[in-house]
Amino acid sequence: MNWTANDLDLYMQQQEYIDTALIPLVHIGSGGAMKQSASSAEFLLNLCAFIERQFKGRVVLFPPFSYTDGNDKSRLASEWADSVSDMPFKHVFYLTTDPSWSREGIIADAIWIPSIPIESMDKKLKQSVLEDQVRQIIPVLTAKWTTE
Amino acid sequence: MSNTRVSRRQFLNYTLMGVGGFMASGMLMPMIRFAVDPVLEGGAAGDFIPTSQKVSELTEEPVRVDFTYDQVDGWYESEVTGTAWVYKDGDKVIALSPVCKHLGCTVNWAGDSAHPNQFFCPCHAGRYEKNGQNVAGTPPIGPLDEFDVKVEDDLLYLGATKPNTLI
Ligand code: FES
Repeated sequence: MNWTANDLDLYMQQQEYIDTALIPLVHIGSGGAMKQSASSAEFLLNLCAFIERQFKGRVVLFPPFSYTDGNDKSRLASEWADSVSDMPFKHVFYLTTDPSWSREGIIADAIWIPSIPIESMDKKLKQSVLEDQVRQIIPVLTAKWTTE
Repeated sequence: MSNTRVSRRQFLNYTLMGVGGFMASGMLMPMIRFAVDPVLEGGAAGDFIPTSQKVSELTEEPVRVDFTYDQVDGWYESEVTGTAWVYKDGDKVIALSPVCKHLGCTVNWAGDSAHPNQFFCPCHAGRYEKNGQNVAGTPPIGPLDEFDVKVEDDLLYLGATKPNTLI
């Protein structure tokens, strides 16, 4: 499901099946890091859209949560965790290309994916690259679904 | 200075005209869209989308065929990739939609090793026979949709989806 009114209607009726929140964490870089962060965001959001399509009936893809270098990540993380825990999701997956979330243990189980610059690829290549990535993430997701 | 000054009355007039114009366009836009839309939709629904799948290479084993088309939703315009599961039944080419009839996940052929001759939905373990018939006792409530198909110069074209006609 996407974060749209219609999809959330369906979600409300089918909460027992749609039990997973998928939250993209997007870093907004400043100065020289702007373009790099845009490229990562492009990649991550493409990937998330892909995952949403594969697992439409099980996950709700949240609007990307973006933050800058000035934000206090630990605070953001705990505020998010508090709010999301008030929602009836059984599983919450954070997806990011920024390794600091899991490396620094802020969100220990955030799923980190190395960013691939897809902006200069042609459509076919872009699609197959994204597919490869999704194929690697799927076992991570299903493992979490079956263990938690 | 004084000749470029806008009096209070003029200012109000301009503003109201601006607001009025904006409101009028707000009312007109949907009306124009209603008038134009059916034509556009007719074109899109009747279209067959070409794929790169050679029909002579199809077998009785379903294979994944991807195709792309443009989609406009509000102000988002995007190129969408669609997928079909395609196989041959005798001489007939069958193309099934991969969209699960439970809650819309994407199903895979032989996605579950315990059921190698069925479509499998990873979300809630929904299953379908090869002809798209949903397996009773799994969550899906109906069979997979079917695409209209067309063959030209040995290439597969996919049309609109319709309720399954094989069952
Ligand atoms: S969405 Fe396919 S089984 Fe639930």
